[in-house]
This record gives sequence, C-alpha cells and structure tokens, in this order.
Amino acid sequence: MEFPIFQVPYLGNGMTIALNAVLHIIIVQGITTGVITMIALAEYIGFKKSSEHWENFAKQLLKPTLIIITGVGSVTGVGIWFITSALSPRGIGLMLRIFFWPWFVEWLVFAVEVIVILLYYFTWEKWSGLKKKQHIYLGFGYSLLAIISAVLITGILGFMLTSDGWPWNRSFWSAFFNPSFIPQLFLRLGIAFGLGSVFTSAYLLFTRQDPMFRKEALRLFGKVALVFLLIGLLSTWWYFSVVPSRFKTHAVFSVLTSHFSQHPEFFWFLNIFGALILALFSFTALTRSVSISRLLVIPAILFYCCFITEYERVREFIRGPFLLPGYLYSNQVQLDESLFWKENGALKNSYWYSQAGNSADTTAQGAYLFAQNCSSCHTIDGLNDIKDRLRGRTEDGIYVILGNTHQMVPFMPPFSGTEAERRVLSTFLYRLTSGEIKLKAPSRFMFQKGKS
Amino acid sequence: MNKLIDLLLQKPLPDPLLHDLLFVAFVLHMLFVLFTLGTAMLAFYLFLETWHKGKLQESTWDKEVLRTFTIHKSLAVVLGVAPLLLIQVGLTVPFFTGVTLFAPYWMLIILLLIISFLLFDSLAHRINIRPYLHLFLGMIALVALLAVPAIFVLVLVTAESPDQWTNIVKNGYHLDSALTLHWLFRYLHVLGAALVAGGVFHFFFTAKGDPEKKTKMLHWIVAGILEQFVLGVLVFATLPKKPDYDIIIVMIVGVASAAFLLWSVFKALSKNISPKAKLIYPLVVLIVVPMLLTRQLIQDKSLLPLKKELESNAAVYEKSLSIYSQAALDNYKNDLNTVYDNGKTIFEKSCVFCHGENADGKGNEAVNLSIPPEAIASVRTTSETLRQILIKGVNGTAMPYFGYYEKGKLNRLIDFLNNRFDLLGKLPPVQFDISSADQEKANQIFSENCAACHGKDGRGTPEAKKFQPPPPDFTVYNLLPERAFEVISNGYPGTMMVSFANLPEGVRWGLVKIVNDKKR
Repeated sequence: MEFPIFQVPYLGNGMTIALNAVLHIIIVQGITTGVITMIALAEYIGFKKSSEHWENFAKQLLKPTLIIITGVGSVTGVGIWFITSALSPRGIGLMLRIFFWPWFVEWLVFAVEVIVILLYYFTWEKWSGLKKKQHIYLGFGYSLLAIISAVLITGILGFMLTSDGWPWNRSFWSAFFNPSFIPQLFLRLGIAFGLGSVFTSAYLLFTRQDPMFRKEALRLFGKVALVFLLIGLLSTWWYFSVVPSRFKTHAVFSVLTSHFSQHPEFFWFLNIFGALILALFSFTALTRSVSISRLLVIPAILFYCCFITEYERVREFIRGPFLLPGYLYSNQVQLDESLFWKENGALKNSYWYSQAGNSADTTAQGAYLFAQNCSSCHTIDGLNDIKDRLRGRTEDGIYVILGNTHQMVPFMPPFSGTEAERRVLSTFLYRLTSGEIKLKAPSRFMFQKGKS
Repeated sequence: MNKLIDLLLQKPLPDPLLHDLLFVAFVLHMLFVLFTLGTAMLAFYLFLETWHKGKLQESTWDKEVLRTFTIHKSLAVVLGVAPLLLIQVGLTVPFFTGVTLFAPYWMLIILLLIISFLLFDSLAHRINIRPYLHLFLGMIALVALLAVPAIFVLVLVTAESPDQWTNIVKNGYHLDSALTLHWLFRYLHVLGAALVAGGVFHFFFTAKGDPEKKTKMLHWIVAGILEQFVLGVLVFATLPKKPDYDIIIVMIVGVASAAFLLWSVFKALSKNISPKAKLIYPLVVLIVVPMLLTRQLIQDKSLLPLKKELESNAAVYEKSLSIYSQAALDNYKNDLNTVYDNGKTIFEKSCVFCHGENADGKGNEAVNLSIPPEAIASVRTTSETLRQILIKGVNGTAMPYFGYYEKGKLNRLIDFLNNRFDLLGKLPPVQFDISSADQEKANQIFSENCAACHGKDGRGTPEAKKFQPPPPDFTVYNLLPERAFEVISNGYPGTMMVSFANLPEGVRWGLVKIVNDKKR
C-alpha cells in the first residue's frame, strides 16, 4: 500500500473510529437535526399563540444546544474524517474521489448551516415583532439544511454497504443512489426527530415548572416521538429488506459478538424491550402524565443512544470483508490487487516494506504481513487480539486457516500474498501466540527486528 | 512495484483546477483560523491584564472579545472542510503520508478542539467565576487550542518533505533536528499572524468607539508585525530547500505590504488618530494572500514533481492489475451470491477445505496438516458434544472455533451434518468375530495401556485432558468400527495416540468393541 500503516494500540482502529462516530451521530441526529427542529417548532407555537412560555422555552434551550453543536457536533463530524484519514487512508482517499461532488456540496451546505445557526442564535432578541416570522424561517431553514446534509452523507454511507452496480459500471449516480440510500435516509431522520423530541422532553420535564405549559408541551413532543418512532421502526424493516442476504445474515452476530453468539435470545429480548420503552415513553408523554414520563425519559434517551450504536455497529460490521464492496477489502487491499499479490508477492510490491531495509528477516516480514492483512481489525494485546483468536491452533493449522479466511469466516477478507508469504505469516502468528515473539501493543509494524 | 503510487481511481477534477481551488479555500479557512487563534490569545491576555489591575469587576472587554470566539471557531471548522477535501484529492499521497506518520497527534486534534471550544465558550458566557478558576480553565483551553496549529504545521511540513518520510518511520514519531527547527518557526509564525489578525479584527469590532481600546489594539498589531518580521526571517533561513526567485518576489510583496501597514499604524499612533479601514483591509489581504501564496509555491516546488512520478507509477501498477480485474469481479459476484444462512453452505465453505466434500478428512488442505483432519463421516456423537467442539475448537489442532456463527446457524450445520453423514446416529456393532481370548486380552490391554490416557471409563484422565489435542470422551464421541480399528492400528498422526499394529487383529477389534461400548 502507498501509505505507512498505523494502528491504535489496545483500542484498535475500528473502536477508535466508532467511539468518535457514534458520539457524532447521536449529536448530529438527536440534537443538530432533532432538537433544533423542536426549538423552531416551539418558537413558532410561541409566536402563533403569543405564549411567553413557548418562546422562553425555545430560547433557553438554544444556548446549550448551540454550544454542543458547534463545540462537539461539528468537531466530531470532521473527526470521523480525521481519524479515518489516519487509520484508513486508502479507503477514505478513494471515497473522496468517488464522492467528490457530494462532499464539496456538503461543504457549502455545512457553511450555510453554521452561518444560519449563528444568525438564529444572535438575532433572537433583535428580530422580534415584525421580523419574528423571518427568525422562525431561519430556524426551520436550519432544519432543512440539516436534512440536506443527511441526504448527502447517507448516499455515501449507503454505498459502503450496497455498492450495487458501481463495481461494474463505475458510475457516480449508481454509487450515490444505491439501494440502501432511501431507506437509510428515512431511518436516520426517524431517529433524528424521534431522539430530538425525547431530548427536548427531558429538558422540558427537568426545567419547566408551570403545570399547564408542561402538559401542553409534553403532549406535543410525545406525538412527535410516537410518529417518528413508527417511522424509525418501519424504515429499519425496509432497510434490512434491501441489504443483500450475504451481509444481512451476520447482523445478529455483529451485535452479540463471540461472547453471546450462542444466546440469540438476548438480542431479541433487549431490542424488543428497548422499543417498548420508547413506545411507552411516547405514550405517557402523549397522555400528559408528567411523573411517569419523567421516570421514563432517561431510559428512553439511553435506549435511543443504544439503538444508534447498534445500528452503526451492524452497518459497519456486516459489510464484513469489504470497505468498498466490489473494490476494496476492509484491510484496504483492492480485490484485483489481492489476486495480483497472490501470484507476485505482497512484500515485493510494498513500497513501505522495501524501505524497511531488513527484508530478509522473517519476523519483520511476518509483522508487516500482519499489519497489511490483519491490523485493520485485529490488535496485538488489545481488542480483538489476534492471539486470542489463534490460541490453541497448531502452526500448520494457522497456515491452513490463513489460506481460507475469506470462505471460512464470511466477514473476513482473504490473505493477500504468495504461498511463501502465507507460511511466513503463519509462523509469525504462531510464535507470537505462543509468546516466542514479544511484541507489546505495537502501533507500527515496520522495522520490527526479529527477536527469538 | 515497490515504488510509491497514487490512488488508482481517477481524480474528479483536472489538477490545475484542484490546485487553484485549494489555494482559495485555504485562504478562506486560514483567515478564520487566525481570527480564532488571535481572539483566544487576546482574550486571555486581556483577562490577565484586567485581573492584574484589579478591574475584573468593571471591565468585561475580555468577555466581549471571547464572545466572538463561537463565530470564528465555527466558521474556521466549516471552512476547513474544503481545503481538507481538496488537498486529500489533489495531493493524496503526500498529505495522507504526513497524517499517517503522525497519526496519534493528528487524531488528538479532535480532542484538543473539543476541550478548547467547550472551555472557551463557557468562559465567554459565565460572568461570575473565580479568577483562579478562570485562569486555570483558560490556560487549559489556550494550550489545547494552540497545540492544534502545531500539529497541522507538523503534518504539512512532513507532507512537503518526502525525502524525510523513511527516517520518520524509522525514528518513531519525530522530525530530524533541522526540520524540527523549521517546524517550530513556521508554527510560531502562524501564531504571530494570529496575533495581528486578532488585533485587526478587534480593533474594528469590539474596540469600536473606545479610543483607549483602539490604541491598545494598535500597539498589539505593531508588536505582532515586528515579531512576524523576526520569525519570518527564521522561517526563511530554515527552509529545507532554498526558494527560487519567483517565490521570493511574491514574498517581497507580502513583506512590503506588512512594512507599509506597520508604517501607517505607527503614523496613526504618533498623530493619535485612527487608521482608515479603507487602508487596513486591502493591506491585510495584500499580506495574507502573498504570504499564503509563498507557502503554496514552496509546497508546489517540492511536491509537483513527486506527484507526476506517483501518477506514472500508478499507471504502470494499474496495468499490472488489469489482468486480474475480471476475475476479481467474478469472485465478488460469487461472494454476494453465497449466503451463510444454511448448513450446506456453511459446511461447504467453512469445513470442506479440511474435512473434504465427503467428510472423509481428505480436503484440499489436509496435506498441509500434520494432524489429519477428522473423517467426520465416521464420527458418531451427540449434538451437545458437536456443538461444544464447534464453539470451542479443538486445542492442539487446526480445528478453530466457530462461535462466530450464532446458535441458529450452528443448529442448521449440525442438522445438515446429521442428515448427510448420520453424525448423531446409532453406532453399528463390530462385525468381526472376536474370540473370547482376544476379548480377554483386549480388556487387559485397555486397562493396562489405554486407560492411562483414556481412563477406565473412557472419558479421558484429568492429566490426558491437558494434552494438545486431548483424547476424545468415548461416552459421547465415537468412531465407526472400521475407522476406530484404523486409528488403533495406525495411531493418529501428530497426537499421543500411537499405533498398536503389533497387536493381533482380533485384539484390536476387541479394543474397538470396548471403546464403543462406553457410549452412553
């Protein structure tokens, strides 16, 4: 590969990306899209009914919202890009070339979004009276921009699971309007407004005292929560109906992992329980029972966050062996390149390995082959530790498994290298697992001197 | 191809356009970066000053300055999207190499930004906070914020120095000393520019209408520009490659404009009048644009030839891959059509390469294994035993765990194995006519020899359970008589099970009967 390989020690690359990305998605869907829309709605109702309560509620909620959006929301958004640039440079580099235009348009939309939200915040006092209407437009305008952002990003995310005809025709439009694009968009918006209304309800329940206003507002947000919960559930079903069966069959495992894979009932129980909590909260809010809603609102937020985490985990996991289906494996090796290396050698074709200078050392070779083939998912000593995966296997067993990863484990890419390199890597892995090679949580795998 | 290559997908725009767009987008971004940094530094300085003078109660200028931070930083972030996109598309390999070589620092930027943004925003809004706490939080926020351009400059300096890449990989995560010095001055030069930019912004905005504040800002600007001259010389002196004349000419335009700005501010200060916005704005543009252009031209000099080389290397590499592309697509199509939701597929994909299509242990990979794969068609066991083997694998052999198939899939696999190979079926009786003497002898041999490992009850002794691989539990795991006979006669290669071919045939059959009788 053209880039030096880096791995986050202990945490691993996937988890590092996920921690930042999930936080971003919770904020950007729940707050940036959801809460701001609720604020605009509240301001509008305040204006229509000339109600101080609604007006103040909207205004006061905006300040913390703005700080979170501009301080954490947008930074973690750029953060996904920053982190993948460091951990998966070829993947993100290729994506940028395929989706240059949506990305470029997103820049403009994002810029306008920021200007609008700043204006919305700073003109709240000034644009009153006759200009109040314009101010309200600004709020809803922001929601619209957030939805446009969602459209642009979802097209790209959908492609990573359902690249459809793109590997054959390489057409931008077939990449962008891929089969999971529309259902995923509805799913994301369903979650955004659903979670947004629950967040807003929490703010309402814990900061407002006036009983009349509280009940009135609670009923409205309960309505919104219920409608978008239903949209969310329906589009989840729709989404999974368009995902290729090849990928879909690992969905349950991706959530349970090897720890709980023999107890699939956990999966169904927790998911149904979570959905019931959300439904129950919407219902109690709708019926204006303040005390029960107050009890349920925090669990509802937590379950929404869990559902977001779960969905992102499933989506990222089930595309399994691929980063860009039909073009790139998850270890950033191209599909055609993998075949090329099988015949012509991976190390021989790696610029960074050729720079290492100790190319005859088999431990160094093994470490680099591990970096190239495995390190995007497996760490040494950390999460998904390769030693745990291989403990108990014989050396020739590892050799055989390496040659068959792609068919044996449906979400693993194949080993990309010659038979001799496969032998080198299996020896390396066997000695690593047995403790003969000591390599404590490395972040780079080049220039690994053989110590034996 | 052990040469560096560019990515193999085509760029969406022609290079010159990407290049020029990048420059424009970068200028826009830098403007707000400088405002952000300058505002933060200014606000912190003003806080210290008012505190020192004991006027924290009356003066809130530092808060007013800091309140513009939200705007600057939000715009700086969003305007950073375009240059990041364009540089990653246009200068893919150099930029990503800079990033990956300093990956830990690069990813730290996110955390630093979140900390400084949240702290500065709360400091700007909270009026009554103890000065010591303000000082403490402000310092954390400022250090976090000022570390960010240090990392960006680090990545850019690295991206622009391809001849240093190998050394950086070798030496860990640092530059050599000459480049470190260059990085340091370049970084400080950015901070100096931020001081001036912040001064100019607040001269026009938060100091508006207050002559005292305006004078202070002018002093601030003067100090900033003077310091920029010094740092500029140091940056120039430490450039890794001496720049050409065209670059120097552009740079002189910027320096001259800066000198002119300095002169006009001096004049205004001495006459105690305010300099004209009409003059300052164009001058600021005349400083910022040529300076950034100088940077761009220096970058181009070091990277454009490399870029050409990367692209031609990529073309060669793509050609060598092209003969594999059809096969890769066909494999992919096959992959998509292979759905691991039934026992047959799982068996064919996950088991056959060792155990063979007929489950006789003669898969393609069997020749590579010193312990032959089990001939599973000859096994008779219980579904629970089989499930445990599948979930845990067999230690000391190639047999891995298959816990990555959740319960339902393993059930389907077990059903499939049973339907096709009768794995859970009855154990047929031994057909050989064993004489009672032979059986007697077999009983004796079993308790004297075999039981040492297999245990009298056939479950395996505790010591033997530690073998890699351990002996099977004959109460739940047995082999068809012919296969058991074969194993007793030839041993099981690669395991502790040795050959007993020296025993008479009848005795061996007797042993088969003993172990199979252990089945519950």
